[in-house]
Amino acid sequence: MSALLDPGTPLATYYAQTRPRIGEVLSRRSLGTLDAVMIGRYAMTIGATDPSHYDSEAARSAGYRDVVAPPNMLAAITEWGIGTPEAVLGPDGTPEDGDMPLGDGELGLRVMGAGEEMELVNPFTAGTELVLETTLEAVTPKQTRSGPCIFVTTLNTFAAKDGTVLNRNRRTVALRNPLQES
Amino acid sequence: MSINFEVSDTLEPLKHTATALQLFRYSAVTWNPHRIHFDEPYAREEGHHGLALHSHMRAALALRCVTEGLGAQWRVTKFAYRLRRPVYAPAELAYTARVTATEGDTMTLELTEQHPSGEAGFEGTVWVSNTTEGATK
Repeated sequence: MSALLDPGTPLATYYAQTRPRIGEVLSRRSLGTLDAVMIGRYAMTIGATDPSHYDSEAARSAGYRDVVAPPNMLAAITEWGIGTPEAVLGPDGTPEDGDMPLGDGELGLRVMGAGEEMELVNPFTAGTELVLETTLEAVTPKQTRSGPCIFVTTLNTFAAKDGTVLNRNRRTVALRNPLQES
Repeated sequence: MSINFEVSDTLEPLKHTATALQLFRYSAVTWNPHRIHFDEPYAREEGHHGLALHSHMRAALALRCVTEGLGAQWRVTKFAYRLRRPVYAPAELAYTARVTATEGDTMTLELTEQHPSGEAGFEGTVWVSNTTEGATK
């Protein structure tokens, strides 16, 4: 138990449940692939101007096999494949069975992205079959200006089917207790 | 390959207006169902002051400042960032990148997102390499 967390609070329950899992491989799964349209849509949404994100010819001229994803696209995708049925999503809309352990939905923890570190080993190009392995790296309680928080870090390793590593992403989210009913 | 940048050089700032429409499209394209990004009454119930920008979207904008400021011959090899405060749409944002180190064909830059309050909303570091010769793509 951490002295920073009040016993009996949802954060304390989460900490007791999740801390023993540090080091655990949470999932290893095939993600399928992203095609040129999905890459182009992502690039368009962020306003990217590099034609290598939109046009195969331009990408090949720049030395890529095909249309190349913007640097953080793989890390940004929340759900791969068809996603989670609405009835199974948590009250905040997040999938309860995502790669980031966010605790039992009944805990009602509030979640915010807190930071990320990514190593871009090789670029991702359209059509590459992906495998993702997720490991729980850290579960750290901290006192912040807005009250107690738990920072949770996962290591997501994106690799091509042949084992070539594309990205190693360490993602951290901050979990907070639910707001008190007034 | 020589590097034409020196420590303390600053890239052209990327100015961007983040809108609710952009947040919707970002949620859709990343298949992100988190309600704080598209359901404003819910976001306020959670204590936010409006629709919250996705951390990954802010990171993507910061990276654009670097990739578009440096040009296609530079490739991002590593990137780390920390969010200092949330940003709510609509928001006028400015991303800046300043060179902090150069070594051979590699360079490190410090990234900052100027928050509408005038404070830094996001701080990061990006490592890039020049791929003009012997590029591994």
